[in-house]
Amino acid sequence: MFSRWGLLLVLGLASWATAKSSTGDSVLVILEPKLDKDNFSIFFDGLREKGYDLTFRAPKDVEPAVIEYDSPQFSHVILFAPETKSFANDITPQSLVTLLEKKTNLLLVVSSKQTPLTSLAPEFSLVLPPPGTPLLSHFPERDTPATVIPVNVSPNPVVTSKLPPVWFSGIPFSLQNNPLLFPILSAPPESFAADSEGDSGAEAVVQVSEKGGEGLWAGSQMSLVAGFQALGGSRATWVGGVDLFSDEYAQKETKPGVKSGNKEFASAVAAWTFQESLALRIDRVTHHRVNQTEALQAYTTNDEIVFTAHISKFNSETSAWEPFSGIQDMQLEFTMLDPHIRTALPPVPGKAGEYSVTFRAPDRHGVFKFVINHKRKGWTHLESSTMVSLVPPRHDGYPRFLSAAWPYYIGAISTSLGFFIFSALWLAGDDRESKKSKGSKAE
Amino acid sequence: MTPKATSTAKPQQATAAPNALESLLKAYNETTSSRLKTVDAFLVFLMLSGIVQFLYCILVTNFPFNAFLAGFSSCVGQFVLTASLRSQVNPANRAEFKDVSPERAFADFAMGSIVLHFFVFNFLG
Repeated sequence: MFSRWGLLLVLGLASWATAKSSTGDSVLVILEPKLDKDNFSIFFDGLREKGYDLTFRAPKDVEPAVIEYDSPQFSHVILFAPETKSFANDITPQSLVTLLEKKTNLLLVVSSKQTPLTSLAPEFSLVLPPPGTPLLSHFPERDTPATVIPVNVSPNPVVTSKLPPVWFSGIPFSLQNNPLLFPILSAPPESFAADSEGDSGAEAVVQVSEKGGEGLWAGSQMSLVAGFQALGGSRATWVGGVDLFSDEYAQKETKPGVKSGNKEFASAVAAWTFQESLALRIDRVTHHRVNQTEALQAYTTNDEIVFTAHISKFNSETSAWEPFSGIQDMQLEFTMLDPHIRTALPPVPGKAGEYSVTFRAPDRHGVFKFVINHKRKGWTHLESSTMVSLVPPRHDGYPRFLSAAWPYYIGAISTSLGFFIFSALWLAGDDRESKKSKGSKAE
Repeated sequence: MTPKATSTAKPQQATAAPNALESLLKAYNETTSSRLKTVDAFLVFLMLSGIVQFLYCILVTNFPFNAFLAGFSSCVGQFVLTASLRSQVNPANRAEFKDVSPERAFADFAMGSIVLHFFVFNFLG
């Protein structure tokens, strides 16, 4: 009895200790020597409280390697090395891409200095400003330098709650037209990236803006924090300045008496990057004929088919996958090369996490697929493909004795009956005729 | 028999058209054996049945088309078989079908019809 309670206790503790992330709790923090770990204690302690297991390493250290024997050693990598020009051999732009392919999540920080990371950014459809051009803003009026800017957080999928402005200092990037990329924090409309940290280059900016703003790195189209959701499901977040995560900015007041939103913002960004928030998965899909329950390998053309998908969302508070019915715009495609049918796949009211649709199979036989391809910015991509064949009815599968065909049936039957009656008359008449002919012969 | 009757009727068309029809019917009734009359009655029935099915197909529905094809072709096929039976047993054509006795002709007709109906009912659906 005691042992059983003991076991339960151990299990309970184990589940308490598991990470809040849906993909694992080990985090490698690559921190350049210039940055002091203690300056980011609020951010790192926040991660530890959530249950993450942080390992620190300098960019030039060889141990611990990020990939060993072709398998990634950490679930998540934080790269706080914005000014490091040379890394150990195992950290290259290629190896970072490999990490993403192997489902490791990355939190990358860049600065206005030229580093290997700035050459990796274009691979993510990010365009960084030229080296040495940080973001400047003279509004609102404040006592900090022009490079330290309070940025309003506009609502987006990653940061849902209303936050006070966030202190930022670093570079903006412009986002190219890549559907996997989306902004998390946009630059203030009146900010711009310029050569100098003083105001000596301001005239050049004015001149450029008079020419219509061409070549000007300015405005709210710029992004300061951007999320990238790789096709394999892993996530990479690019941040324009490491100070966003610092203790100093987290405690700095944006208005007298109002603390900045940096702590909550950094926590939300990390939660998204580490697959805590907006993580979805398809548990299973089923399909069957209407009024049946068995999934068939082959359906007949024009069958009424019911397709059901079960979808869960990760809840970081309980570290568990929970049925999720909140997707309103999911679609199902029934595809043979092209989608022959594309229909809404709505949630079933009253059944958590269940999405179902009934549709009539096309009048076309071949090998079809049930395809779910749901990609929304910030959310895990949902992809599912189930193959079934669609066959024409069997020889005895067609409807018979149709009311419309009765004239034809009657025609055919009456012809046969007519044939029998005619034959009977002929044979009966044959006797009479032969008698007659015999009689005539006799005459 | 009939061609002869029409050819005789033609010259006196203007004066006695009803008479021509009457004389046609009369000649048909007198000169045709009862056996050939049976054949003719069956041919008329088949023709009417085929016309009705064709009109139904055009005016109402051609679905299911296989049923239409079966019903219509049973009429056409039976008509062809019966017409050939008629020409073979007609005493006027005896010279042409010297080798074919009326019994033989009827046996051919019956065999052909049974095969036709076999196909028709298979195709009817």
